[in-house]
Amino acid sequence: MVQSDDLTKSLVATLGLSEQKAKETLKNVPLTQTLSSILHEIREVVLPEGTGVLLYHFATKTKPQIAHHLPLIVKYIVTKKLDTTLRVEKAIEYALSHIKNINPPEFEQFCGVGVVVTPEEIENVVEQYLKEYKNELVEKRYKFNAGPLMQKVRGKLPWADGKAVKNEVDVQIFDLLGPKTEEDLAPAAKTDKKGKTTKATKPPVKEQVANGDVPALTILDVMKKVSFHLPGQNYKTDGYVVTENTERLLKEHLKVTGGKVQTRFPPEPNGILHIGHAKAININFGYAAANNGVCYLRYDDTNPEKEEEKFFVGIKDMVEWLGYKPYKITHSSDYFDQLYEWAVELIKAGLAYVCHQSADEMKGFNPQPSPWRDRPIKESLQLFQDMKNGKIDEGMATLRMKITLEEGKLDPVAYRVRFTPHHRTGDKWCIYPTYDYTHCLCDSIENITHSLCTKEFQSRRSSYYWLCNALKVYCPVQWEYGRLNFNYTVVSKRKIGKLIDEKIVKDWDDPRLFTLTALRRRGFPAEAINNFCAQLGVTGAQSTVDPSMLEAYVRDYLNNTAPRRMVVLEPLEITITNFPFDKPVEIPVPNFPNKPELGSHSVTFGPKIYIEKSDFLEDGNKNYRRLTKTQAVGLRHAGYVLSVTEIKKDSSGDVIGVVCTCTEVDKVATKPKAFIHWVSEPVEIEVRLYSTLFKHKNPEDPSEVPGGFLSDCNTDTLNVLKSKADKSLRVAKVFDKFQFERNGFFSVDPDTTEGKLIFNQTVGLKEDAGK
Amino acid sequence: MSVTTETVNFYNKEATNAEEQIALLKQQILQLQQNIKSKTVDASLDPDLQTLFTENTKLKHRLTILQRAISNLSHSSPAPRDSTRMQNIQEILAEVFSQAIASACPDITDPPVVITLGNNPKFGDYQCNSAMQIANIYKQLGKKITPRDVANKILENVAPHEVIEKLGVAGPGFINVYVSKSFGLRNISTVFSHGVRAPEGTKSRIVVDFSSPNIAKEMHVGHLRSTIIGESICRLLEFLGHDVLRINHVGDWGTQFGMLIAHLQDKFPDYLERSPPISDLQSFYKESKKRFDEDEDFKKRAYSCVVKLQSFDPDYTKAWQLICDVSRKEFQVIYDRLDIKLIERGESFYQTRMLEVVKELEEGGYLEEDEGRKVMWGDKTASSIPFTVVKSDGGYTYDTSDLATIKQRIQEEKADWIIYVTDAGQATHFQILFQCARRTGLLTDKIRVDHVPFGVVLGEDKKKFKTRSGDTVRLIDLLEEGLKRALDKLKEKNRDEVLSPEELQRAQESVAYGCIKYSDLSHNRNHEYVFSFDKMLEDKGNTAVYLLYAYTRIKSIARTANFDEAKIEELANNHSISLDHEKEWKLTKVLLRFPEELIKVTKDLCLHHLCEYVYEIATTFTEFYDSCYCVEKDSSGDVVKVNHGRILLTEATARVMKKCFDILGLKPVSRM
Repeated sequence: MVQSDDLTKSLVATLGLSEQKAKETLKNVPLTQTLSSILHEIREVVLPEGTGVLLYHFATKTKPQIAHHLPLIVKYIVTKKLDTTLRVEKAIEYALSHIKNINPPEFEQFCGVGVVVTPEEIENVVEQYLKEYKNELVEKRYKFNAGPLMQKVRGKLPWADGKAVKNEVDVQIFDLLGPKTEEDLAPAAKTDKKGKTTKATKPPVKEQVANGDVPALTILDVMKKVSFHLPGQNYKTDGYVVTENTERLLKEHLKVTGGKVQTRFPPEPNGILHIGHAKAININFGYAAANNGVCYLRYDDTNPEKEEEKFFVGIKDMVEWLGYKPYKITHSSDYFDQLYEWAVELIKAGLAYVCHQSADEMKGFNPQPSPWRDRPIKESLQLFQDMKNGKIDEGMATLRMKITLEEGKLDPVAYRVRFTPHHRTGDKWCIYPTYDYTHCLCDSIENITHSLCTKEFQSRRSSYYWLCNALKVYCPVQWEYGRLNFNYTVVSKRKIGKLIDEKIVKDWDDPRLFTLTALRRRGFPAEAINNFCAQLGVTGAQSTVDPSMLEAYVRDYLNNTAPRRMVVLEPLEITITNFPFDKPVEIPVPNFPNKPELGSHSVTFGPKIYIEKSDFLEDGNKNYRRLTKTQAVGLRHAGYVLSVTEIKKDSSGDVIGVVCTCTEVDKVATKPKAFIHWVSEPVEIEVRLYSTLFKHKNPEDPSEVPGGFLSDCNTDTLNVLKSKADKSLRVAKVFDKFQFERNGFFSVDPDTTEGKLIFNQTVGLKEDAGK
Repeated sequence: MSVTTETVNFYNKEATNAEEQIALLKQQILQLQQNIKSKTVDASLDPDLQTLFTENTKLKHRLTILQRAISNLSHSSPAPRDSTRMQNIQEILAEVFSQAIASACPDITDPPVVITLGNNPKFGDYQCNSAMQIANIYKQLGKKITPRDVANKILENVAPHEVIEKLGVAGPGFINVYVSKSFGLRNISTVFSHGVRAPEGTKSRIVVDFSSPNIAKEMHVGHLRSTIIGESICRLLEFLGHDVLRINHVGDWGTQFGMLIAHLQDKFPDYLERSPPISDLQSFYKESKKRFDEDEDFKKRAYSCVVKLQSFDPDYTKAWQLICDVSRKEFQVIYDRLDIKLIERGESFYQTRMLEVVKELEEGGYLEEDEGRKVMWGDKTASSIPFTVVKSDGGYTYDTSDLATIKQRIQEEKADWIIYVTDAGQATHFQILFQCARRTGLLTDKIRVDHVPFGVVLGEDKKKFKTRSGDTVRLIDLLEEGLKRALDKLKEKNRDEVLSPEELQRAQESVAYGCIKYSDLSHNRNHEYVFSFDKMLEDKGNTAVYLLYAYTRIKSIARTANFDEAKIEELANNHSISLDHEKEWKLTKVLLRFPEELIKVTKDLCLHHLCEYVYEIATTFTEFYDSCYCVEKDSSGDVVKVNHGRILLTEATARVMKKCFDILGLKPVSRM
């Protein structure tokens, strides 16, 4: 504590921090270390005015991998050669790209050391650029955005003082426009703002869809803006560990990849992909695509249990469904031989050992360190070979790496014994590598530039780097992003399996689930899912969203892509007694009412039609705007209005049909309050309506749902209807999507057979108020 | 009695239920029958069954893995032995016992495996003496096991091997190994089918630096030792199949050439046109040295000559060449007489490489300033001294040239093994050299380096070897004296009466040069060595003369029985060596040690092991010959009976001895 007090004092004294700030600073351990080294460098030096702030700025921005250049940069700051924050940042940038040697003249040029910008120069340049904007300026007066102008000036005079430039711009604008008038002081016109807000609610996707662009471009847009390191500049990333081999390995790496970005999507092939994976697929494939790179699909099949062919195929299908093509399809098991050799190397280097602690002993908050940690290398080598040769029982030995993880987990396991044949390697192995051991090495083998993974793996990052460096192989950079979670659903394979076993849902692709196959079956377009992911971005924050958010994207997309059809979900027969034609007629109906250029289809209009049961109410009320005994209703697209003449009922008094007369819409006295959809000479279809499976947001949370997720299921979440559809739907193919007028979006289910059309409801037309 | 509809309905229902049950059962039976037929059982029906199925899969998987591991092991371990050469029995036993000990004492890591040659035939031919050490280890671990128990346990674990006839535990815990006669017979017979071949081994690139006299100076007995030892090491390594580069690192560069050239210019001004007739380079050297020490002007001129030479001025280079040539011719006389082969690559060869190495050391930050010199430390922690890489006047030293040399040998010659044969006085120098080379990363653990030192040569008075007048003994004079003494010895034995003049001369040279070499090699080279013609020429004991006689006698046995080379070949095809007599087997067992004796020498590069081995062959042969008749003659001298198996044994002995002689540089003659 004494030490930290001393430090506080010297921070205050030398760098001119406030005591409060100094104390807060000390809580940041790495920063404190850097500051201590800086203080050590400048001991007994009287700091010139202003350098204290710069030194502090430097301390906050510098990276550990250039710690050895610290004295040099500090010297430059103290001697006022680096006299602005910009120059200090440039110095850091230079040092990062010249980790080994700094060439002083080059360095000074890069940082603009000694470059002096005179006020005259600023004045001239500002004047020059102001001319370009003169018209706009005069027009917009003080609402003119000076940003681009400033940027141009900065581009011309990179070393000019920002404040000086700003002042000069202000002065010159004032010269031009004179003092502000009252109008200038009024708030900006509202119209502008409105335009903006409406836009903000809808994603930028929409426009591109309308223009017929590939919607995946949006994920490209997002991924192009992400600031990851450039291939081969791994060392510039925070936390990347540089060893004496790094430079050579990166050179070799660049030679192999030719500087391409290489990513991978590494799912375990023991289940089905869900919506969370869609984000991973989009980020990995999207980042590669945005940078003209490649992305591997790597099946992480290190666990021999539960790997089935259907999962392998399913995963590939889903990646392709989302519109991505893997550069190569690989398997972690492709590398088992190499991984084994490296494990032996690790043992020989004294960095791994065979341990006999049980899984239970290794678990928990405070596990005992392994008593076998320091056993002779020779012994571990022999035992590891024995493990491989099947001489040791399952659970009686593991190979462990000598590294402590961030969370304090001791010596993670690298290999364990499993007497289980492997899907691809058959009976070759009975030791299988773990995630911790396999993942980074496969990344290294495949020369992955950016190993993108979810935040939970942040704690494995140090072991990731450690292992690559211990084996002296190329070390990729791990970048983490926030995991995507969904409310009102479960995604774990075990839980979905339970739902299937309990016959709550039918299969892995039941449209009530959030697996990707389920979403496809339900009719979600891949583009909508991609757009949704794009909007989530690549931030580190974990996002938990309601299904309605995704549904909004689906709705937006389908609105412009799914043609309209009239389908009566629950039909009520209507007989028109005064049908004006001798026989049924064909009426053309546009596919997209707003865009007639996108074609039309014809609908039959006959004396017998069907309307929704709910569109008729014998005795209406004030709020009911559709057909009643006394109230007429319009027929959409037909141009006729119906009026009831007789109501047919069965023995129990239920309405089984209505007899009406019709009048041309132009000839009725009062316009009907509503127009409804209808069908005539329809095809019979089955329609499946789904509702939310779970009652609570977090069905897995025991505090919300004490009875477990199975107890939280709604009953009757599937409603099967016998409906009547416009007969143009007869030719619809599986996964074709339509907007059923006034009912919502629907997609053809794969259960459809010749002569039996089945539709799933994708989403309603409006967000369900129930949620 | 009327039955109500209800009752009828009830029974109808019952009946329907029963029918349904029957149908279900029928279906299940059918299913089961089908399953039995197709041998498929749906495991999901019964959790216990499912567990058992999983267990079964696991066991099957493990079985496959184990079986494969076993078959890999049994394929890999006993590599098929080469039947075209003698096998190294000691090495085989070491392998066999290492496995046995590992299985007998699994709880000890890296247990000692000690196989020694038995010194008493009663206790086997070889002994494994590990039990005592292992018992000791157990004792330290707190377990009490007697060495004898350990030995018995090892014994139980020894896998049967063709080499081993039988095993036994003796004394406190020695395991005695008796070599199988049939194996021995097969092994020794390879000398007839394939000749005496070296044991197998991986081929290495080896540089041997030996002899290395100084130009313009006389070769002395020190150089003689280096030359003889180096030559034999080369012969041994070449025989073992290595790629050997024999280097004569002559002293052909340095300041002394300045004064020699200056003196040459004065004495033979026309040296560029006419080769100067320098007959005695040594006195030429002394003259110039005298002028150099006394005449300041001459000294200055000498220095300027050095500068000219080092800048490769053609006239000066020519002068330097001439001087070197004179020396070279003198050296060659001696090499020819002793049958020494060398490639001359003197210090001058490394001139440009020295510049390079200094630059590299400088850049690598290995050089430190020390009173104007630049020095490099091999190991600062020890009470060591540094190498002077650059002198204060900017010149280079032996240290510099040796650094350049070792670099050239590793990088350009790609040497796996470098051997320097010099006197023991240079041990520290080489120690520092190797340390420095390791520091720079040039010398790695993959490269073996040996400084093979030898002790000084003393006169019979146990003082430094000098002539009576106190001068250094000229090597050429020494060889001349050797020839004279050898002839005297032969004449003393009246050999001049038996042999033709040519035979006598061959015998004379064989004895003279043979004894000089052998006497050098047969002593532990690390010790001082007393040079005495009297001792060398004794015909008893471990001397060249004794061995050469013995060999001639052995060769004459077959001759007596009228077997020439061709006939012996034929004999070898139809007969095998006789091993029935105890002395026959004893001699054979000595011969079988040939491979292990050679390997032993490669370990410490001490050739006296090989000398002792040949001597043992010779004495064992005498033992054999004394008790086993090979050829029986009647009183008239006619051959009555020939024991073919023994003739073959005699021949095998001769062949093994001949091979040893080749390595030691002895040239046996068929008659002496």
